[in-house]
Amino acid sequence: MFHRILVEDWQRVLTIISFSIFGLVFLLMLLRVRRLPREEVQHLENLPLQNDTDDHAR
Amino acid sequence: MTTTATKTRIEFDDKTVRQFMIASIFWGVVALLVGVLIATQLAWFQLNFNLPYLTFGRLRPLHTNAAIFAFVGNMMFAGMYYSTQRLVKARTASDLLSKIHFWGWQAIIVAAAITLPLGLTRGKEYAELIWPINIAVAVIWVVFAINFFWTLARRNEPSLYVAIWFYIATIITVAMLYIVNHLSLPTSLIHSYPVFGGVQDALVQWWYGHNAVAFFLTTPILGIMYYFMPKAAERPVYSYRLSVVHFWSLVFVYIWAGPHHLLHTSLPVWLQSLGMIFSLMLWAPSWGGMLNGLLTLRGAWHKLRTDPVLKFFAAGVTFYGMATFEGPLMSIKAVNALSHYSDWTIGHVHSGTLGWNGFMAAGMFYWLAPRLWDRKLHSTSLANMHFWLGLVGILLYVASMWVSGVTQGLMLSATKEAGTVLAYPNFLDAVTSTKSLMHIRALGGAMYLVGFLMLAYNIWRTAAGAQPVNGTIEVYVDEKHAQKQLSLAGGFINAPVVYSVLVIVFATIWAAFGGIVSGLGLCGLIATVLAVMGHVEFSGGKWADWYNRLLENSLPFTALTAMAVFIGGIVQIVPTIVINKAANIEGVRQIPYTPLQLAGRDIYIREGCYNCHSQQIRTLVGDVLRYGEYSKLGETIYDHPFQWGSKRTGPDIAREGGKYPDSWHYFHMLNPRQISPGSTMPNYPWLFTRRTESDLLPNKIKIQRRLGVPYPEWTKEEIAQSVAEEEQAIAVGLRTAGAEIEPDREIVALIAYLQKLGKYEKVAVPKPTQHTAAK
Repeated sequence: MFHRILVEDWQRVLTIISFSIFGLVFLLMLLRVRRLPREEVQHLENLPLQNDTDDHAR
Repeated sequence: MTTTATKTRIEFDDKTVRQFMIASIFWGVVALLVGVLIATQLAWFQLNFNLPYLTFGRLRPLHTNAAIFAFVGNMMFAGMYYSTQRLVKARTASDLLSKIHFWGWQAIIVAAAITLPLGLTRGKEYAELIWPINIAVAVIWVVFAINFFWTLARRNEPSLYVAIWFYIATIITVAMLYIVNHLSLPTSLIHSYPVFGGVQDALVQWWYGHNAVAFFLTTPILGIMYYFMPKAAERPVYSYRLSVVHFWSLVFVYIWAGPHHLLHTSLPVWLQSLGMIFSLMLWAPSWGGMLNGLLTLRGAWHKLRTDPVLKFFAAGVTFYGMATFEGPLMSIKAVNALSHYSDWTIGHVHSGTLGWNGFMAAGMFYWLAPRLWDRKLHSTSLANMHFWLGLVGILLYVASMWVSGVTQGLMLSATKEAGTVLAYPNFLDAVTSTKSLMHIRALGGAMYLVGFLMLAYNIWRTAAGAQPVNGTIEVYVDEKHAQKQLSLAGGFINAPVVYSVLVIVFATIWAAFGGIVSGLGLCGLIATVLAVMGHVEFSGGKWADWYNRLLENSLPFTALTAMAVFIGGIVQIVPTIVINKAANIEGVRQIPYTPLQLAGRDIYIREGCYNCHSQQIRTLVGDVLRYGEYSKLGETIYDHPFQWGSKRTGPDIAREGGKYPDSWHYFHMLNPRQISPGSTMPNYPWLFTRRTESDLLPNKIKIQRRLGVPYPEWTKEEIAQSVAEEEQAIAVGLRTAGAEIEPDREIVALIAYLQKLGKYEKVAVPKPTQHTAAK
């Protein structure tokens, strides 16, 4: 495992596995957010804009 | 609004926010001041003042720790306390815990500011603080975590905004990284040895070091970006959906990228490949987040001309984009061969810290100050002037470091005569060629510091004489919210999680094994996918409901986030820990240090020599021609801590032993320029007067034995005799070369250590079996 100069065959699949895992996570999240209800998104994105008394004190 | 809701008025704890903000500004000035001083030391060595407490090697850790943990740390706590209370519509759960958190954190910073110049260090970058302070950090972090999660538990807003997700990821991951990388065995109240050694320590260190950037300097600031940019622009985030994808992909990918700090080194190739690939993939989530931040300013761009807050935010996010483009680029092995160990890396981290962290901090402070003290900002013009001064300062700094880094990389790897001879055999050629760039760097840093002092003055004038105010809000408390809470078990024992686990298990079996086992893994994978499709068809959309409920339940959400980061850590670190060291040392094995050499090594670490000298010859032509055969894994297996370094302001010293006579080192440490004209290395006169602390050696060797270093069971007398004999031999040799020194002085121990570097014994290499080669 630790012989750096001799690249063993099994190491070649690592890059593919890495990309596949990332692609899977990315794809699943994309699919998930596509299904997020519009009202839910609007509620969440407006949370920072719900003012407290500080916002009138400038 | 349901009939179960009752109206309540809540006053936020903004005192803690003010305290953290003021502390951040104060420590920011300290961090920048020390940064400018050490940058100047690289141009004029005289500014080391021949004083141990002011040398580059001791002050550089002070600068990095102050910038990361004191400046950005306090800024991040200020932003988190302010935004969390408002996003969850609840006051922080415990004022007492907030107080303990604030004062405890400041006490830790003060302790660091005292101990680091004294040379009390663990010798690992951004993890230098000694073990009692490490424990204090862990305790205070837990206090903060309890207060944070307790606040979430008492919240009046059922949904968790994405900023809160980033804060959760920060709390969980920093705790994990910090604890693992600081595992040590103490030898005294102020000294310890890390439990990991050699390549293991290198991997754990950079798994931590990289993710300190990721989860201390990035994720909390992204949370702050997602809260404060919409506030400042007075419009919602450009795409909330994109922020969700940004969060999960970033958290999942970041943790794997640490090995890119160790490309071309003794680290196993498969880990280097993982580090490089995951670093490249980081481009996607990082730029997704960066664009999401910038596009939040849509329709508000005209405000940038007059509003310093938006100016700082826009520039800060742009620097985030630049730094996260540059980072993956530098992780490509071919680029890394040029950039690593050079000033390019220094330029890269400063575009992130000064541009992203510093400008986001400035934008947030200018936005917060009028609200926290209920008074208009003292001077908008001064804030604008700060922006332009800071921006030009960063550009000067970063551009000079790019040019310097590329020059160093090219000169030190350049060869002639068909690649058999170095074009610039003298390392100092690269040092003298880039000296003017050190002046520009110091100028850029000084400009940034002056800009930051303007911020300090502006905030002080805003707050002076004003009445501090706490924000209040009226909320409707929904009693039904409690009924939606999932138990921790409920968050995990359900169809989506079970199917996900099955997919991972079967996919691993398919990829990792051969023959019939692999076939079974593939069959299992296909069967699971079919089962998922069938389940989705018949469940009628209940999965989405499960995910939505998860978003309203901080505990299972936290556990899921922790899982995402644990996986990356376990896959990388466990194989290097469980591996039988002796079987994987590439034909060479380190000879343990003699007691005097060990004492010399501790002096080397105390003086922070690793800040400028590496001990790792990479598998690159330039490195091998300049320093000798590339470093093997077995050569450092007993090094607790490893000392591979990350920057070559001076040459690599992995094979320094025997290269020069003892007297060379003697005169070089006394005045480097006497031996190497043009050197910027400090003088070390105190090493010639201070006695070696050899009485501590028996306990240190005992701890080393416990860590697996094969020392014999020496008695105290045997150790003392070994030290005395070796000291005497070196002192006699020095005397004959015209260097008169008492044998028990630190310089003698340091010479013993330097002359040991690169010495090892050869061992038989087991041939790889057919089975291994086929994998």
